[in-house]
Amino acid sequence: MNLSDKEKKMLDGVWGMGPQSAMRLLVTLGEIYGAQKMIPVASCHVGGRSYLISGEENIEWMNDLLNGGARFQVFTSTNPCSVDFQQWQKMGLPEKLVLNQRRADEPYLKMGAIPLGSCLPYQLGNLPLPGTHFAWGGSAGATFVNSAFGARGNREGSPSVIAAAITGVTPEYGLHLKENRYGQVLVDLSGLDHSSMTLSQYSAIGSYMGRTLVDKTPVVVGLPPTFSQDQIRFLISPMPTAGAISLCHLAGITPEAPTAEVALGGKKPEFSIAVGLKEMQTSFEKLTTTRKEEVDLVCFGCPHCSLPQVREIASLLEGKKIHGNTRLWVATSGHLKDIAQRLGLVEIIEKAGGLVTTDLCVAPGAPFHLVEGVKTVATNSARGAYFIPGACNVDVIFGETGDCVQAALKGQWRRSK
Amino acid sequence: MKIILKGRKVIGGKAEGEAVVTRQPVSFLGGVNPDKGIVVEKGHELEGQSLTGKVFIFPHGKGSTAGPYIIYAMAKRKTAPAAMINVEAEPIIAVGAAMGNIPLVDRLDPNPLEAIATGDYVKIDGDQGIAEVIKKGGAEG
Repeated sequence: MNLSDKEKKMLDGVWGMGPQSAMRLLVTLGEIYGAQKMIPVASCHVGGRSYLISGEENIEWMNDLLNGGARFQVFTSTNPCSVDFQQWQKMGLPEKLVLNQRRADEPYLKMGAIPLGSCLPYQLGNLPLPGTHFAWGGSAGATFVNSAFGARGNREGSPSVIAAAITGVTPEYGLHLKENRYGQVLVDLSGLDHSSMTLSQYSAIGSYMGRTLVDKTPVVVGLPPTFSQDQIRFLISPMPTAGAISLCHLAGITPEAPTAEVALGGKKPEFSIAVGLKEMQTSFEKLTTTRKEEVDLVCFGCPHCSLPQVREIASLLEGKKIHGNTRLWVATSGHLKDIAQRLGLVEIIEKAGGLVTTDLCVAPGAPFHLVEGVKTVATNSARGAYFIPGACNVDVIFGETGDCVQAALKGQWRRSK
Repeated sequence: MKIILKGRKVIGGKAEGEAVVTRQPVSFLGGVNPDKGIVVEKGHELEGQSLTGKVFIFPHGKGSTAGPYIIYAMAKRKTAPAAMINVEAEPIIAVGAAMGNIPLVDRLDPNPLEAIATGDYVKIDGDQGIAEVIKKGGAEG
């Protein structure tokens, strides 16, 4: 790789051992992928912060970097973690986990991380602009920012994101290069009645696309021009879990896809598929792991809930009471909870017996298995349903938002359709 | 008998040790115990085998992107392999080797899975991308 003088100095240890190990890691990645040079990143977002995901090893590594003089040179926000620091007692989480999570967070904060504690950092001030380069952990955020904002980055693990935040650069490979960003396959969603489609249904379609297309970059046609940010999030966020898709163009909606032809780079698609209700239904079935009806916990918020989602859940719970054997958690960021509080939505959810959590991850880093009596979890997103059984060793039911709320009220699952 | 295999530097540095060879991909997260340096993946042909101080030869990594942390932890706890050879390195193993400062080479010719057997003695020059193999039982020099 061709390194600048500054990059060479970092690699030689002139800036200390922290930046040196970060640069060594990035050079290694760059050489494997055949990158010619490093490029500056404008935005970083670190995943891997959950104590339950990366544990003691990550704490050791982060502290070594910190003590070796590493500091974040780029705006770097944080993903959610394994606890809610305000409400962990109400949630029934062990104190030891809270203390460990605090210990895990310390080096991030000392290096200069902005603790947004959310997988929607783009709603909270970390918003990469079109054509700029980013290094983000957390595949939902990276895939969203690539697709919806046309910023450029790869889906990557935490160590290389931390290294980019410390050095300010990342190797130029993969989706940083325009020639790798064109769509490869065409997906027609025009057969769906978009006026009646729910967020859960869009996530079921995204999951089907991930399973079917594996790692091909899709260009979706047939969506209404009013397609909302929440709808984009639910459609796209399961793609990197069910498959390995890191970029999805929506023709007429996303910046690199004014038309399908432009998104495809003027080439013919490798193949085309149409996705309808039948394909969608397979995701609900595949991702549900139990036929049991008792539901111990209902959770919303993978990815974190937006304000329109919190409002919808509150309206379904207003004046009602959650079943005594069932918990209901609505996971979002601290900022959005503040606003939901001013709107009276938090009070409605709490009166019904639910909790609006902050800083908490309710899927890959979730602590469900540490809460007494939680064996079956119901959730409304295909992304959450993919992660929960493996991360927490519990059963999961994937269904509509309304059905999830009903399950919380009755303590039992009944599918509406 | 001495064989020289030439390939690509992934992580530099010199190291040597006894070879442990597998044709199966390896996941460090869940597949290797970092405190003991032992392969624990159920049904893996190396299950129960220690990697500590060995030159570990395997096709490539698999599994979770948290794998690098385990390789790093092994290096910190002095249970790590002395060096690694992959047929084709991918980011999980390479990032772990970079974090733990463990020499790693790949794309060797001839194929290391054919040319090297468990128990052979291997010297790695990571910077040159070279592995020197002294076959077990072969008369030297």
